Amino acid sequence: MTSAQPFLQVLASGLAMGLIYALIAVGLSLIFGLMDVVNFAHGEFLMLAMYATFGLFFETALDPIVLAPLVVAIMFVLGISVYAGVVRYAMRAKTNPGMVQIFATFGLAILIQGLAQYFFTPDYRSIPNTWLGGKTLNLGGVFLPWPQIYGGAISLATFLGLYLLISRTDFGKALEATREDQGAVALVGIDRNRIFALGWGLGAALVGLAGAVLAIFYYIHPNVGGTFALVAYVTVALGGFGSIFGALVAGIIVGVVEALTTLILPPALKSVGIFTLYLGVLFIRPSGLLGRL
Amino acid sequence: MRVIDRREVFLSAAALSLIGARAFAQSGAEVPVGVIYPLSGANAQIGVDARHALETAADIVNKSFDLDLPTAKNAGLAGLGGAKIKLIFADHQGDPQKGRAEAERLITQDKVVAIVGAFHSSVSATASVTCERYGIPYVTADSSSPSLHKRGLKFFFRTTAHDEMFSIAMFEFLDAQRKAGRKIDTLGLFFEDTIFGTDSSNVQRKLAAERGYKVVVDIKYKSNSPSLTAEVQQIKTANPDVLLPSSYTTDAILLMKTMDELGYKPKNIVAQAAGFSDKAFFDAVGDKAVGLISRASFSLDMAQKRPSILKVNEMFKARAGRDLNDNTSRQLMAVLVLADAIDRARSTDGEKIRDALATTEIPGNRTIMPWKRVKFGADGQNVDADPVLIQYVGGQFVTVYPAAVAVAEPLWPMNT
Repeated sequence: MTSAQPFLQVLASGLAMGLIYALIAVGLSLIFGLMDVVNFAHGEFLMLAMYATFGLFFETALDPIVLAPLVVAIMFVLGISVYAGVVRYAMRAKTNPGMVQIFATFGLAILIQGLAQYFFTPDYRSIPNTWLGGKTLNLGGVFLPWPQIYGGAISLATFLGLYLLISRTDFGKALEATREDQGAVALVGIDRNRIFALGWGLGAALVGLAGAVLAIFYYIHPNVGGTFALVAYVTVALGGFGSIFGALVAGIIVGVVEALTTLILPPALKSVGIFTLYLGVLFIRPSGLLGRL
Repeated sequence: MRVIDRREVFLSAAALSLIGARAFAQSGAEVPVGVIYPLSGANAQIGVDARHALETAADIVNKSFDLDLPTAKNAGLAGLGGAKIKLIFADHQGDPQKGRAEAERLITQDKVVAIVGAFHSSVSATASVTCERYGIPYVTADSSSPSLHKRGLKFFFRTTAHDEMFSIAMFEFLDAQRKAGRKIDTLGLFFEDTIFGTDSSNVQRKLAAERGYKVVVDIKYKSNSPSLTAEVQQIKTANPDVLLPSSYTTDAILLMKTMDELGYKPKNIVAQAAGFSDKAFFDAVGDKAVGLISRASFSLDMAQKRPSILKVNEMFKARAGRDLNDNTSRQLMAVLVLADAIDRARSTDGEKIRDALATTEIPGNRTIMPWKRVKFGADGQNVDADPVLIQYVGGQFVTVYPAAVAVAEPLWPMNT
C-alpha cells in the first residue's frame, strides 16, 4: 500500500458520490429554473422513490436496475400530480407567492414524511442480494463499490440525455422558452400550465432515478430525504439556480470537496469545506458557477 | 405595557387553584406519567419500540400478574388506593430543544408527576433540567452519557449503567483477552458528534491511556452523513486491533456497509451499543456483523437467572412483534422502578416521589436485568447496574462477559 492510496481512495469515492449528488440535485434545479419554485419536498421525493424501489423489489423480486424505469415512471406521475394538486394553487396566491410556494412544498414535505412513517413504519430497510450490492471493484488498492460506479454512469448518461432533450426536441425548446419568458410563450401557443406540469414530472422522475440508484446501497428510512436534501440545495445554489449543467459541475465539486475535507479537518466538520467553498463562490459569483447573472 | 390589577391576580390565582384541586381529585384514579422519546425523525424506530415497552410496563403496573417484579402482583398502585398510571407520550425528534419544550408542556399542561426518557443523552440533558426547575423527578432509562449524573441535580435518576461503567466493562473484557494471550495493542475510536458519542469517546480515551492501549485512530464524525467512505478509509489505514464505535442506528448500518465496500474486515469490534444492538441494524447488515461484540444491559439468554424475562418478553412481543432488546428492557424496567417509588410515596407530589426514588432498593432478581440491584447514589445513579457484553453470532446474541453470567466463550478475533 503506497501513501497515495488513501488519498486516491478518498478522491475516487468523492467523485462517485459527487456524480450521485448531481443526479439528486438536477431535478430540483430544473424545477427552479423553469418556474422559480424551490421544491422543499425534494428530499421526500427521493425517499418515496427509494421506498418505491424497495416495494417493487419485494413484490416482483426483480433487480433494482430493472425496476428503475418503473420507479422513474411512477415518480413522473407523482411529480405531475403534485404540480396539479398543490403547486398550481400555491402559484395563484396574489400576495407573496414565493412564500406561499415555500410553505406549500415545505408542508407537503412534512406530510409525506408523516405518511411514510405511518405506512412504511420507521424501520430501516435495505434491499438484500442485488446484482451489484456489496460488490466492489479493486483498482490497485482503491476500492470502488459497483453500485456507486453504476450510479455515476447513470448520472452521466442522464445529463447527456437531458442535453439532447433540451437542445434537440420541441419539448426541450418549449421548456427553455418558458423559462426565458412565461408571457411570450403563451403568444406562440404554448400552454404554460402543461409545460410546468411536465417540468415537475421530469424533475420528480430525475430524483426518482437517483432514488432507484441509492436504494441499492443506502438504507431506506422515512427521514432519509433530509440527509441528501441539504446536499442537493447546496449543489443547486453552488451550480447556479436553474442551471442543469451547473448541477453536474457542482455535484462533483461537492462530493470531492466533502471527501477531501476529511483529510485536513476532523470528519465531523466535513460540511465545512462545502459551505466555505459555497460562501467563496457567493462572493465572486452570487448567482452560482453556471447561473445567469 | 399593561399593568395587571389586583382583581386579575386574584382571579387567575383562583383559576389555578381550581386546576390544582381538579388534578388532585383525579389522582385517586389515574397518575399521569410523562414519557419523551423520538417518535418521529431519524431514530423514530427507537421511539416506536420504546412505546411498546413502556405500555407493557404500564400494563404490569395496572393489571394483576403473577410476576416477581415491583408493583406487578396487584392491579394499580396499592399505596395510592389502586390508582393506575397513565402514560402521556411526547415526541422530541432527537432535538434537545424540543425535548426541553415537551418536558415543560407535560409538566404544566398535562400535570405529569414524573417524566421518563429519552434515549438521546442530549435530550435527557435538557429535559432533566426543566424537571429540576419544576421539582418533578426525571428518570432516564437509557441515556448513558456519564456527564448526566454529575450535574448536581436533585430530581435526576438513572436506572441504567452509564458509558463509563459500560466502557470499564469493555476494557476489563479487553484486559481479560490480553491475559488469555491474545494480542491487543491498538484501538480505534469512531464516534458520532453529539453528547453520546463525545462522552463515550472521552472515557474510552482515558481508559485506553490508563491501561496501556494505543489509540491509533480517533474519528469524530458527523451523524447521519450521506457517506462515511473517507472516515472508513482512515480506520482501514490504521487497522486497529479493536474498533470501538459509538453510533446510532443509521450510522452503524452505513459504517458496516462502507467497511464492506472498501474491502475492509475489522479485526474486532466492541461497540458502545446504541445502533449496534438495534434489530434494524442486524436486519440490514447482520451478515457483515458476525462476531461483533456490544456492551449491553440485557440479553434474552439470561432467562435462567431472571425467570420473569420470558413472560415479560412474551407480553412485549405481543405488542411489538419483536423480542425485548437492550433498549426496550431498560425502558420497561425504568417505569417499574418509578411506579414502585410512587407506590411507596403514597403521593403524587414531586418532592415525595423524589424522596421515595432516593430510597429505592430492588434486588436484581426482582428485575429483568443482569443488575445486582436498583439503588441510587446521592447523584441519582444506580450504582449496581452491572453491564454485560454480548456477541452477535449470526441470528442471535449470546452473553460472553463477565464470566459469572456468560453462556459462551467469545469468538475472537472477529475477522482474521
